[in-house]
Amino acid sequence: MIRRVGSVLRWLVVWLPIGLLGLWSVTRRWPWPALLPTQWQLSAWSDVLGTAGLGPTVLRSVAISTTVALGASIAGFLTSRSAARHARREGLYVFLHLPFVISPVVLGVSLDYLFLRLGVAERAAGVILGQGIVAYAYAVILLSGFWNERIRAFADGAATLGATGLQVWTRVLWPIARPLLAVCLLQTFLISWFDYALVLLIGGGRVVTLTTALYQYFASGDVRLAAACALLLVAPPLLALALHRYPRSTTLIDGWPH
Amino acid sequence: MYSIGDPRRIDPWIGVLVALVGVPLSAGFLFMLAYSTGLVGLLAHGFTLAAWRRMLTDPHTWVAIGFSFWIGAASLGASLICAFAVHAVRAARPTAPTVPSLTPWHLPLAAPPLAAALLALDLFGNTGLVARIAHALGWLSRPQDFPSPIYARSGLGIILTQAALVTPFLVLLFERLARNERVAELADAAHTLGASGTQVLLRVRLPVLLHAAMPALSVYFLALSGAFEVPLLVGAQYPPMFSVSIWRSFARFDLSTRPVAFALASFYALLSAALLFALFAARRRRESRERTA
Repeated sequence: MIRRVGSVLRWLVVWLPIGLLGLWSVTRRWPWPALLPTQWQLSAWSDVLGTAGLGPTVLRSVAISTTVALGASIAGFLTSRSAARHARREGLYVFLHLPFVISPVVLGVSLDYLFLRLGVAERAAGVILGQGIVAYAYAVILLSGFWNERIRAFADGAATLGATGLQVWTRVLWPIARPLLAVCLLQTFLISWFDYALVLLIGGGRVVTLTTALYQYFASGDVRLAAACALLLVAPPLLALALHRYPRSTTLIDGWPH
Repeated sequence: MYSIGDPRRIDPWIGVLVALVGVPLSAGFLFMLAYSTGLVGLLAHGFTLAAWRRMLTDPHTWVAIGFSFWIGAASLGASLICAFAVHAVRAARPTAPTVPSLTPWHLPLAAPPLAAALLALDLFGNTGLVARIAHALGWLSRPQDFPSPIYARSGLGIILTQAALVTPFLVLLFERLARNERVAELADAAHTLGASGTQVLLRVRLPVLLHAAMPALSVYFLALSGAFEVPLLVGAQYPPMFSVSIWRSFARFDLSTRPVAFALASFYALLSAALLFALFAARRRRESRERTA
């Protein structure tokens, strides 16, 4: 009995929030104190998915997040090797945590002037650069744990057997690192996908992503469209969770790499 | 191939890291300092500490910073209690269950803070689902009778939402740390030596996990104190968290408030960085003491 109640509770905790967002997105009227909407409609979804609606915003969000994730993961992988063997790596890791602890708002306002001078403020490129700072730092912290004694032994072994530098990278390091790189790619994608403050402050209202659209709908009192936006935001990570067990070695979880 | 590098030799990838992370962060900080001291900006008339004086003597500054750290500490504390409770329940099972592909502990990992805040409103607002259920059960007659945590001046809505977002991370963190630190074996040893179940939980599992998790918890504390989206949506107008306070100053058309806003942002950046470095230094000292012992 207790197990059954536990299962029901677990099911509720997982699906109630998503169900509630789904319900709001198809609601026309939901007066107090009704437990369910009294009138329904699908117009929020046709607005969201239509070409005049959020279609371009979704595409822009995907493009920005994909660029940030790819750039941060590739650069992070190459940099993490140098960071892991750096004589002052502990100080370096502390420094890399700075973008996470100084608040996204402070980061956004501090970058504003620099990006204005660089001509990338209020443009998608500026948002990518701003989010890239956080994602790149994150990728280096996450991937530094990869460069351990075992990897060193593999690489040295391959080099001793005659592999060239390129072959060591492509035939030894890349295949071993692939699962961790997939984790890094997903995490850095989500850093960008979930970001609101940097898009708002660097994008200056001209770069609209799903998060800024959600806030705009919410602020204008349109809960239906805000809920539809929220569902679109939750969809990619939820899909990743459902298809694949969520990566457990998340980095901010680990704190400083050892 | 992996020898420790010479710190005087600049590694090209470390150079890239400094250029892409260090330079923008430093330049941004210097800009904020320059703006707040009247050296740059549309209203700049030469060096002055007026904005810093105004910021430091304004009681709202200390309310905003104090409130931010309270929210950070309370959110982290609530998450820690929930995560440790989950750890204790899982540890009490005879065999550790394998985690299925989608569990409640994973779901908030898929939720952006904005969506979580929207959900908090839909669930716990005065006309939210919980209030409607309470009405259906006859516990209240009007929406105003529902003791909603949303927009509460205590920050309860923010704390609940942030705790819901962070708890899954801590559950997974504890799970990993318990494996690394061999907590199950330590608990078995304590049981064998006569410790009760509660003693094992509070004297063995909790201190070991907290000690191992401390670096990550410090970063979480600072990140939660500087959160923006959740307080923006479910926080009260007053007291504001400092991030919301800074944003409001920038959202105004009145440019005269900007130097003070930049002073507040610089002050908070300095404070967070100092706390981060202090926590890191304390950890290094503790580790070096433990190695010596």
